[in-house]
Amino acid sequence: MASQQNGTNGASASNDFTVKAGLAQMLKGGVIMDVVNAEQARIAEEAGAAAVMALERVPADIRAQGGVARMSDPSMIKEIMEAVTIPVMAKARIGHFVECQILEAIGIDYIDESEVLTPADDIYHVTKHNFKAPFVCGCRNLGEALRRISEGAAMIRTKGEAGTGDVVEAVKHMRTVNAQIARARAILQSSPDYEPELRAFARELEVPYELLRETAEKGRLPVVNFAAGGVATPADAALMMQLGCDGVFVGSGIFKSGDAKKRAKAIVQAVTHYKDPKVLAEVSEGLGEAMVGINVSQMAESDKLAKRGW
Amino acid sequence: MSITVGVLALQGAFYEHVQLLKQAAANLATETHASPKWEFIEVRTPQELDRCDALILPGGESTTISLVAARSNLLEPLRDFVKVHRRPTWGTCAGLILLAESANRTKKGGQELIGGLDVRVNRNHFGRQTESFQAPLDLPFLNSCGKDQPPFPAVFIRAPVVEKILPHEEGIQTSEVGRDETVVAPSKHVKDQAALDAMATQVEVLATLPGRAAKLASEGRNIDADKEAGDIIAVKQGNVFGTSFHPELTGDARIHSWWLRQVEESVRRRRKLRATLVDALHYRKTIQRILMCVILDEAEATGCLRKSVESHHKPFNFSTSVSIIHESVPLLCRKN
Repeated sequence: MASQQNGTNGASASNDFTVKAGLAQMLKGGVIMDVVNAEQARIAEEAGAAAVMALERVPADIRAQGGVARMSDPSMIKEIMEAVTIPVMAKARIGHFVECQILEAIGIDYIDESEVLTPADDIYHVTKHNFKAPFVCGCRNLGEALRRISEGAAMIRTKGEAGTGDVVEAVKHMRTVNAQIARARAILQSSPDYEPELRAFARELEVPYELLRETAEKGRLPVVNFAAGGVATPADAALMMQLGCDGVFVGSGIFKSGDAKKRAKAIVQAVTHYKDPKVLAEVSEGLGEAMVGINVSQMAESDKLAKRGW
Repeated sequence: MSITVGVLALQGAFYEHVQLLKQAAANLATETHASPKWEFIEVRTPQELDRCDALILPGGESTTISLVAARSNLLEPLRDFVKVHRRPTWGTCAGLILLAESANRTKKGGQELIGGLDVRVNRNHFGRQTESFQAPLDLPFLNSCGKDQPPFPAVFIRAPVVEKILPHEEGIQTSEVGRDETVVAPSKHVKDQAALDAMATQVEVLATLPGRAAKLASEGRNIDADKEAGDIIAVKQGNVFGTSFHPELTGDARIHSWWLRQVEESVRRRRKLRATLVDALHYRKTIQRILMCVILDEAEATGCLRKSVESHHKPFNFSTSVSIIHESVPLLCRKN
């Protein structure tokens, strides 16, 4: 039975996609910050975060400490939900639909089925349609993005390389998605009889044809797309915005830096005024030490989190 | 005539509003011949706000928008826009919260409001995201666009409602100040006649969400008795319009069209008033000049006042006075 393979809390699918994708649209032009306790959540809210991601360890610590990374303790997530009035998100392991059921039961606003945690299933992602809580998922390319959307994700983010403070992977993932959308659009506009070629491209990407056509028509992903994984400075955030992201997740970048409050505020301002270099220069001044980075090009392949999920 | 409408683009669904405004303007253009030339801009700076005849505050996170507005030196200009100049302003969801004179369940330490609507708004009234919903709504105010409108697909996302209509007060909402966990907007005074004309002391309730209270009661949930009438989800007071739902998340441009019509009317009124004021100023100057000529003529005749008048004013001779009177009298007669 389907419900045994991928059970939900019995919500009807009628709480429809508009409402789930709609919350992501409300977060656009905003910053979503990783926080590990109520105090950090309050700092994030005061800095102007549009939402917070509640988790026990930020990616930089997960990386350093190793072991199996799982969903956070519900009591800690609830404390954060009590502390702030902005939406609260939390992470579940890839494929771990019971963690998702638990998060939904405590009333979380968004579930991140995240490669930052240790995957619980090496074949299936969670089927997300029947959850009442909306999902955000990471991607490295258009294929991953559209597969997640077809599974029910209402928001997409780049995977980047979490916990490194190196923005190169997030840039690569965003550019890949953009280039593939541009190619789909070019096929759509190339001739009135575009269907065979677009179908071939859908096969290549391993995505549903209808979803690819919708993307090609819109010239963008059908849902909101945020940057994530390696954003550490206001300039990084503005870079991702100028590449076409709708908003930015900042994980370890804030609370692993010298002056968290100031840096959080600066990144919020940078995401609003991403096209205004004068404002960017102003907010980049005197932020203190950025998080100590890890150069992704010198990392072992086995240490890369972005490879999780498919 | 050209009209510039801004959408506050600090955070939230501003792009969606711009798209739907364009669609609404295109619809209006097909309806009427004398449609104004619309320009829609994103507003992130006080300079951009200065260019606007009307403004939309989009959905988003109201705490984020008010914090970023304060840090971008936009909070006071926004208050002036809405409450001093009284230009047409529409807030959706987070925008409605910002336009309320009073709001509760805000973050710890409260948040800054712009104000303009004499209401108390309850933030996240329906609860968290899992309580968000979509509902078909009958919006009687849209009937001005034609009878028997189909229901509007209203999307409510962690939405606020208008919990209470407040009496209009000069100054801040003093009765609200003492309430727990409630913030109020600072007071502002209107500056000119155009702003006074755009103001209203009464809040009009444009739409409610019926039946929800009864439904909750039937499920045994404890609800406030005065909510039986339904939750107030659309209000208008003079220049300020607020909805707790998100028309920008639908493809339905009817509310945007309706609002643009109101904007057009208001801008026309304002520009006419300004033209009248300019005319009035012109007539006053003309009359002064005529009087001056009369005095000078008298002076000429008597020959005694001339010197003192000349010491203060440029000398007029008889022929210039006659020509001025010739010009002015027909104008004055027409005016009267």
